Amino acid sequence: MSNYKAVVIGGSAGSFALVLKMLSKLRPDFGLPIIICMHRLKHIRSGLAENLAMKSSMKVVEPMDKERIEAGKIYLAPANYHMFIEFDGTISLSTEEMSLQCRPAIDYTLSSAAIAYREKMVGIILTGANEDGAKGLKDVADKKGFTIVQDPATAEVPTMPRAALKLVKPDMVLSPEGILDFLNNLQ
Amino acid sequence: MDFKQFLKEFKNRTQYDFCDYCDSSISRRLQRIVEDTSMSFEQILDKVTVDEGFKNKIVDDITVNTTELFRDPQLWISLYKTHYQKLPKSGTITFWHIGCSVGLETYSNLIMMHQMGLLDRCRSIGTDINPRVLNIARNGEYAYRFNMFFRDNFDAVMKGCGFDAKFEDYFDIDEKADTMRAKPFLLERPKFMVQNLVTDKAPFPYRVDMVFIRNVMIYFNDKLQNQIISMIHSKMYDNAALVLGKQEALTSQMETRFSRMGQYYTKKPSM
Ligand SMILES: C[S@@+](CC[C@H](N)C(=O)[O-])C[C@H]1O[C@@H](n2cnc3c(N)ncnc32)[C@H](O)[C@@H]1O
Repeated sequence: MSNYKAVVIGGSAGSFALVLKMLSKLRPDFGLPIIICMHRLKHIRSGLAENLAMKSSMKVVEPMDKERIEAGKIYLAPANYHMFIEFDGTISLSTEEMSLQCRPAIDYTLSSAAIAYREKMVGIILTGANEDGAKGLKDVADKKGFTIVQDPATAEVPTMPRAALKLVKPDMVLSPEGILDFLNNLQ
Repeated sequence: MDFKQFLKEFKNRTQYDFCDYCDSSISRRLQRIVEDTSMSFEQILDKVTVDEGFKNKIVDDITVNTTELFRDPQLWISLYKTHYQKLPKSGTITFWHIGCSVGLETYSNLIMMHQMGLLDRCRSIGTDINPRVLNIARNGEYAYRFNMFFRDNFDAVMKGCGFDAKFEDYFDIDEKADTMRAKPFLLERPKFMVQNLVTDKAPFPYRVDMVFIRNVMIYFNDKLQNQIISMIHSKMYDNAALVLGKQEALTSQMETRFSRMGQYYTKKPSM
């Protein structure tokens, strides 16, 4: 399927409900790995993966360190770990310092994915309340990956998409429905 | 010079061997050091040879020292229900915390032992590559307000185990100085020793009942992980426990020598 090897999605405030909705409407035969990095509240450390799994026909995992990335699975950054994509197609985790008060940091996931996948990835920034993810999306764009930013007008909290738009001229600015259509039509 | 060459040369000049650390993480740490110091790899290498303090600072910056009191509360509750119940009924119980950082994991374990009435039989040893964090561990003093969530972890574990314990039973809190410090009866128990897992040849003098090596090997590549686990395996009693971080698993090569018990492993008895 397509020239792409993975879809990487970042979001924070407001993105959880959105991701749930999108995943529930995704084609069941979606053939790429979906790698998701979402901020979570400190006290809500579990439950996210279980919730996603209930709504999605794809298998949802909170990856173990050095786990191999497989098509058709959803990888959710585990609470309190940064998640990196490695050159050899595995995931690595780290507990290093927070970045912009975030762990997991979307910047780290996107930037490492940009190096690993170059032009063969789609990077998406959704609604969110801080600026994490903008730098990472720029790295994706610099490596000629395909970039999408949620239209701030449709975002519950527009700070994150706005910050991304400040740094990057994305290939597309889309509403949630638009993003879903795009993913479902990826050939 | 790329980061691989830098690490080789760093090893030659300092005895610190980071060559088999995981590529992405170490290259990012090095990039940050280059940015922060505004020095090239060559300049850094020249300076570490002559400046001990600078060398220590580089080691400090390369390694990741983040930790928590009762990190991953569920783990401690499950240990209480399982392996802690199987600890030897008499004699010394030996715990080894590898990559113990500032000691909070060590103190967490000792709090559990105190609750179970086993504190007096504990030999608790924390080791780490980084002398700076071990000094903090020995002193047992931590920032308080910044670490408020330690209390949440503590309460979750005590509740999950059915213990009736207060945070203040174990830590003296100084609101003004914004510090919390392990109480003397806790503080006097553990020994903290500098040890480099990669380069120290005879790294541990005792057989152990429980080894904690959480969030340390995520920074190592598979080859180094296997080497370290083999060494640890040789120090464990039969059926002793090996505890890894929440998102860690043994490589398939090492797995056969252990039994998986949910969140931890035990050493299979030798035939
Ligand atoms: C992220 S901390 C883990 C702390 C604690 N175990 C926990 O999970 O909360 C990793 C520790 O491993 C130590 N470390 C890294 N490389 C090491 C080596 N080669 N030998 C011994 N310790 C090492 C670091 O100095 C750091 O304190």
